[in-house]
Amino acid sequence: MILPLLKGLTLTLSRFLNPKTCATELYPEERPKLSSRFRGLPELQIGKDGREKCVACGLCAKVCPSQCISVEGAEDETNRRYPKTYELDAFRCIFCGFCEEACPVRAIILRDTFELATYENKEVFDKERLLDLTRKRNLPR
Amino acid sequence: MNIINLVIDDKPISAPEGTNVFQAALDNNIYIPGLCYHPKLSQFGGCRLCYVEVTERKRGGHRFACAHPVSEGMIVKVNTPRVLRYRKSVMEYLLAHHELSCPTCDKSGECGLQNITYEMNLAPGRFRTVRMHHPVIRDNPVLELNRNRCILCGRCVSACKEIEGVSAIDFQNRGFKTVIGTAFDRPLECSFCGGCVAVCPTGAWQDRTLGFKGRSWEFTSTPTICPYCSVGCTIVANTKTGSVRRIVSDDRLGINEGNLCVKGRFGHEFIHSPERLKTPFIRKNGEFYPATWNEAIDYVSKRFQQIIGEHGGPSIGGIGSERCTNEDNYLFQKFCRSVLGTNVIDNISNMKSPYLNRLMYQTVVHGMATPSLKELERADILFFFGTDVTEAHPVAASMARKAIRLNNANLIIANIRNVQYNSTAKNDVRLPYTLGSQSAVMNTLMKVMLDEGLVDVKKAETATDHFHEFCSALNTVSVAEASQHMGVPEETIRNAARILARPGRCHIICGKDIEEDPSGEVTIQSVLNFCAFINAARGGEGKASILFSRAHNNSQGVNDVGVVPEFLPGYLDIYNASQREKVEKIWGKKLPESLFRKETMNIIDLALNGKLKAFYVMGENPIVTYPYGKDIREACKKLDFMVVQDTFLTETAQLADVVLPTVTFAEKEGTFTNMGMTVQRLNKVIQPAGEARPDWEILCELAKRMGRPFSYLFAKEILQEIGSVSPVYAGIQYDRLKRKEFHWASSFSHKKAPTKYTFEIARHERPAVATRKDFPYLLLTGASLNHHGTFSRHAKALTEIAPECFVEISKNAAHEAGVQSGDMVTVESMQNKIKLKARVTDTIPEGIVFIPEDCEWIPVNLLRNKVYTPVKIYKESA
Repeated sequence: MILPLLKGLTLTLSRFLNPKTCATELYPEERPKLSSRFRGLPELQIGKDGREKCVACGLCAKVCPSQCISVEGAEDETNRRYPKTYELDAFRCIFCGFCEEACPVRAIILRDTFELATYENKEVFDKERLLDLTRKRNLPR
Repeated sequence: MNIINLVIDDKPISAPEGTNVFQAALDNNIYIPGLCYHPKLSQFGGCRLCYVEVTERKRGGHRFACAHPVSEGMIVKVNTPRVLRYRKSVMEYLLAHHELSCPTCDKSGECGLQNITYEMNLAPGRFRTVRMHHPVIRDNPVLELNRNRCILCGRCVSACKEIEGVSAIDFQNRGFKTVIGTAFDRPLECSFCGGCVAVCPTGAWQDRTLGFKGRSWEFTSTPTICPYCSVGCTIVANTKTGSVRRIVSDDRLGINEGNLCVKGRFGHEFIHSPERLKTPFIRKNGEFYPATWNEAIDYVSKRFQQIIGEHGGPSIGGIGSERCTNEDNYLFQKFCRSVLGTNVIDNISNMKSPYLNRLMYQTVVHGMATPSLKELERADILFFFGTDVTEAHPVAASMARKAIRLNNANLIIANIRNVQYNSTAKNDVRLPYTLGSQSAVMNTLMKVMLDEGLVDVKKAETATDHFHEFCSALNTVSVAEASQHMGVPEETIRNAARILARPGRCHIICGKDIEEDPSGEVTIQSVLNFCAFINAARGGEGKASILFSRAHNNSQGVNDVGVVPEFLPGYLDIYNASQREKVEKIWGKKLPESLFRKETMNIIDLALNGKLKAFYVMGENPIVTYPYGKDIREACKKLDFMVVQDTFLTETAQLADVVLPTVTFAEKEGTFTNMGMTVQRLNKVIQPAGEARPDWEILCELAKRMGRPFSYLFAKEILQEIGSVSPVYAGIQYDRLKRKEFHWASSFSHKKAPTKYTFEIARHERPAVATRKDFPYLLLTGASLNHHGTFSRHAKALTEIAPECFVEISKNAAHEAGVQSGDMVTVESMQNKIKLKARVTDTIPEGIVFIPEDCEWIPVNLLRNKVYTPVKIYKESA
C-alpha cells in the first residue's frame, strides 16, 4: 500500500525540487510571466499626437456588461471629439475585454496590470490615471 | 375622398386616393426602407431605396414607392429577391461615398443610413470607395454642415423651402460635384429653425449645441412644452445624467408636427446656466445675503403679516407670471385673495391690454374663437392683422404655410411694417396701413363687402342683433377717403374684401400691434364685428374665427386662472356675488366684501400713488416688460417690501428685499395654455437646480407659515381644483393630458351653443399722435425671433446668434440722420434715451422706427409713454 504512495510522491518531489518544473512563483520578488492574452486593467492608449486616442464614441460604455465605464464626450478647440471625462470603476470591472473589442480606434486595451488592491472602498480610475498606465509603460526603462 | 384598397406584402390595406405607396405603407406599419421621403415634405424621389415590385391592372413592374400613387387592386411586394438586390446595390453606391465616421458622428444610433446598412447586413461594397474631402462648415453657432456625410436626399432643401419658407440652402453644382449649400457659399443666413437637422437622415446637419455631449442611445427622452412663445410646441428634451443635452422634436407629438424655431430647438442652455439662482437671498443693509428656505419663508411671512396688520391686505400687490404654469398662477391668485386678502393682482399681458380678456371671452361665447392653433393648417383664408407671425410665432407661421401649400389658402397681411412672410400663396395681399388707422381697415373692408353685395343681408339680420344699425353706421364710411387715410390703394382693399368674403375657413390672427395699441379696444371690437360680419357674408359656408396672439408661453393661462383683478378663475365675474360664492365654497373661505372695490387704476399706478406697500412678484420681470419704464421704476422705489420669485437675478429681482429661487419649465410639472386656448402638460425632465423649488411649493409653504395651509402635494391636485372652480377648464384631467391636449374653447362651445352676436358700433377716435418737430419719428416695438424674455438672454446659442438689439430705420430717415447700417445711434424720446445699433431697411414706412422689445437687457420701455412715443434718432458725434 505504501509503495504506490511513495511512487506517486517521487514524481511530486522530483517536480517540486526541480527548479525548471516548480510552479511556485516568488511573487512579489519575481513578476509572474503572464500570457500575452492576459486581461488585466483596461488602459487608455496614447496616439501619435501625445493625446488620448479615445474619441468618446461611448461604445465601450454601451457594451460593458458590468457598466463600469462612463464617458462624457466634448468638443475641443479644433472641433475634435475627445473624452472630457473617462471613468472606469475597477471594483465593478470583470475584465471581460468587451471594451477592447468594441473600440473602433483601439484606444482601450486590457494589459497586464492586475495589482488592484487598495485601502479605499472606491477605486475609480479617471482618464488621467488610465492614461498614466500607458505613459509609464512608454518610459525608457 | 375616395378610399383605395390595395395589398402590400400580403396585407390588405386601404388609403385615401392620391397617397403614395410609401405613405400608405407607413400608415399601416409596413416598413419600406427609404431616406429621402418624409411625410411632412413634398416627395423628391432621390434616394432610390424604396424600390418595390408593383402589380396593377394585371401588369407587373418595379416602381419607387414614394413616387407612385396607390390604385385600386394594386399588389405591392417590398422584399422580392430582385428588389433586395437592387436596394443593396443602391446602398453600396451610397456607402462608397459616405464618410464612415460613425464613432465620432453625433447622429450615430439614430441615423437612417446606419440603420439600413445594419438591417441589410452590408459588408464593404464591391466598389472602390471614393471619399469626399469637403471642409466642414461651421459658420454659425448652432448648425454644422458636413457635406462628406450628405447623401443628397434633398430633405433639408424641402424643409427649408416648404416649412420655414426661407430657401436658404439648395443643391449646388451638377453630377458628382453636387453638394448642399447656400448661394455662392456665403454664411448661412436663415432663421436657424433647425428643421434641416430634424429631417436629415444622416449626420450631415448637426446641432452644435449638443457638441458631442452624449450619444443618442444614452439619452432619456422626455416630451414637454417649449417655454418661449405662446404657440406651445412640444419639444423633446434629451437628458443624460440629470442634465439636458439637447432638444429635439417629434413629428407625432403635440400641435407643431415636429417643427420648432430657433428658440425652442437651440435655446435650452439657460437651464444649466451658472447664473441660475440656487438659494434664497435676503437683503440686509442693502446687500443680498444667501439664506436658508426656512429663514426666507419666515422673514417673508412675518413682513407680510406686519404689513397686513398696519395697512391691511389690499396694500399688497401681486404680479403673476406669463411664464409659470397654470397651477402656479392659480395658487398665486388663491394665495393673494384668500391668505393675503388682496385683490390687487395682475399680470403684464393684462396690464398692457386690460380689455383683451373680456373681448377674447366674447369670441368664445359667440363661437368665433379658433378651436385650436392646429386649425391654421386647414385654413382657406388667412388674415394676419397687426402681427409679425414670422418673428413672433414662427411655428404658427409654418402651420399657415402648410395651409397655403396644401390647401391653396389665400393670404392677407395687414401690418404697419412690411413684414416678411415667405410663402407660395397665389393671393398674397398686403395692406400696409398707417399707424392709428387699424379700425379703419376693418370698417373699410366691411363697407366694401356691403357695397359689392358680398353679404347675405337677410341671413345676417336673423343671425345677429343690431345689424341694421351697424350697417347704417358703416354707410358713413367712404372707401376712397379711408384708403387715403390708410395709405393703401382702393383696389387693394377691395381685392382683400373679396377674398375674405369667399367661402371657406378663415382664420384671423390679431397681433400685438392691435392688442397693445392705445386704441386697441376699439380695434378689437371692430375685429369682432368684422368676424361676425363675414360669417354672415358667407351665409354659413365655412367659418371665420379669431385668434389673439399672446406674448409668452402661458399668457393665456395666467388670465384663464384669474390672475387679473376683474375675474376669478375661468372668467367668473368677481363683482358678481353668486359667481363668487361658488369659488368661496371650494376654497372654504369667505372673501370679505371690501376686497372687491372697483379700481380704475392698475397695480403699478396704485403703487405709484403710494397706495401699495408691498409687491409679491412671481416669475416676472416687470421692470423690463412693463411698457412704461419710468412708472414702474418709481413705483418700486415707493414700496416698503418686495418679494421676487424667479429663476435668474433679473432687474426686478435686483430691487427686491427677498429673492426666492424657482425652477424652469424643465424641472417642474404642470400645464401651459397656448394662444389657441389649448392646455398642454409639462413633464418633469430633470431635478431642480440647487435649492430651487417650484413656485406652487413655495406658495404652499408661505401659506402654511401664515396660518392658512393649502393641502396640495402634487400639481395634479391643483389642476383638479382648477377644473372644479373654473367653468372654462371644467372636465380637464391631468392624466389624460399626457396623451391628448385639452382645447378649452372647443370644449366650452360643445357644452354651450354660441350666443347671438350683437354688433357694437365702435366709435373710432384717432389717438392723439403727438407730432413734434424735434421728435419726428414714432416708436414701434415688437417681437423678435431670437429673443424672448429672461430665458433667451441666458441661452448661449441665442445670444451668439443675435448678440445685439437693434433699431430699424427707414432709408430716408437714415439718410437724413446720416446713419448707415451697423452704426451706433442714440434713440431719444422725451423720457429717456438709449444707444443701439442701427439697421437700415425698407420694410418700415416713413416716420416710424422699430425696436424689438424682447431683448431684455435693452430697457426699451424707458423710452415709452402711454401713447405713441415720438422719438428722434441721431448719431452721437464722437
